[in-house]
Amino acid sequence: MFDYIINVSGYILEGSLVTFQLYLATAVFSVILGIVGALGKISKIPFLESILSFYTWVFRGTPLLLQLFFAYYGLPVLGITLEPFPAAVLTFIVNYGAYFTEIFRGGIESIGEGQYEAAKVLGLNYRQTMSRIILPQTVKRVLPATSNEAINLVKDSALVAVIGLGDLLRAAKVAVTRDFSIIPFIIAAIFYLIISSVIVTVFRKLEEKYSVYE
Amino acid sequence: MIKAKKIYKSFGELEVLSDVSFEVQQGEVISIIGPSGSGKSTLLRSLIGLEEIDSGELYIEGISVEKSGKKAYEKMGMVFQGFNLFPHKTVMGNLIEAPIVVKDEKKPTVKAKAEKLLKKVGLYDKKDSYPAQLSGGQKQRVAIARALAMEPDIMLFDEPTSSLDPELVGEVLTVIRDLADENITMLVVTHEMGFARDVSNRVFFMDHGQIISDTIPEKIFVNPESERIQSFLTKILSQNSGSQ
Repeated sequence: MFDYIINVSGYILEGSLVTFQLYLATAVFSVILGIVGALGKISKIPFLESILSFYTWVFRGTPLLLQLFFAYYGLPVLGITLEPFPAAVLTFIVNYGAYFTEIFRGGIESIGEGQYEAAKVLGLNYRQTMSRIILPQTVKRVLPATSNEAINLVKDSALVAVIGLGDLLRAAKVAVTRDFSIIPFIIAAIFYLIISSVIVTVFRKLEEKYSVYE
Repeated sequence: MIKAKKIYKSFGELEVLSDVSFEVQQGEVISIIGPSGSGKSTLLRSLIGLEEIDSGELYIEGISVEKSGKKAYEKMGMVFQGFNLFPHKTVMGNLIEAPIVVKDEKKPTVKAKAEKLLKKVGLYDKKDSYPAQLSGGQKQRVAIARALAMEPDIMLFDEPTSSLDPELVGEVLTVIRDLADENITMLVVTHEMGFARDVSNRVFFMDHGQIISDTIPEKIFVNPESERIQSFLTKILSQNSGSQ
């Protein structure tokens, strides 16, 4: 029994490699996309604003699963054929980027006009004001919402199994079918909990770090 | 030196500055008083580009705001009613930010200068504190030091004590008084009539977007010529009697 658990854990761990890669790529690039999107949304350039509003409307308003199907089965119709992993990464980045755009926009807009005025009378230009005064304060305010998204992403990553990617959950399911045992599911659940706990801890530390100034 | 000629400014239908002209010489301390909504703050904010004027000419140290605004604004520092310190930076961080980022000064030089300024406003021991850990009066003194760290020729104060508890007003006014002795040109929008009377060389009384009186303090406080000024003073002095 013990040997079996070790064995299956190893197998599921291999599957979780895909999950980790997907997670990391999505986390990094969707946050970047979110920052750019948020800055675009507050830019007061009407054209940019409406494009970004359309973007967040579509990607927050339709199921991630549908977007995943579209990227994998739909894009080939338009002549773009993607392997499962790139299709999944792309979909996740664009989907989470839409959420982060709105979260970061809200965070930036919550910073009072006085901060912009203080920066301006001290001679800071727009770029300096955003990067040194506004965005650092925004980080603190968006941490709780970002933390929620980071945990959602762990669970959403399981959706990639539908386009044939061998992720953590798919590995567990294969083992369940093969061995007629539900133990792989339990192990998978434990894996997810471990990952989520690490993320929660990281964000709690971050929130502590940023709470020094308030 | 500041020179303003026929400044006009409206917010939509509402005319907030109407035909405002004045000159301020190097080292002068000007108090701007008047009822709320009379355009005092807008005038100050227009000088440093926080509000755009609709028409008129504005020269700061001989530099036309219209032609080279950024260069003109660099000559001025501003202190706000609501402090507007950067909450994510320490007191020291607030002071050294702009000199390093805007003027490209070396950090050790800026720090030494900032330490001197903090001693001057009596807050050297708070240099590693964050704004949230300070009282209102302390915050405002940091804000003054932060503005001074850019070495402006002219300081603008927009109701610097209006959001302070009465017992904290004195410490901020003392700092501003000390600056007045240092030959820095200052424009102070204030409701502190004692301060306006004792410290300023001239007082602008504003009403309905115009400077209706530009004169030495004695003339306004001892012998106000217009009825509007009289009634304003009577009102404000009866409100202020506690804090002065």
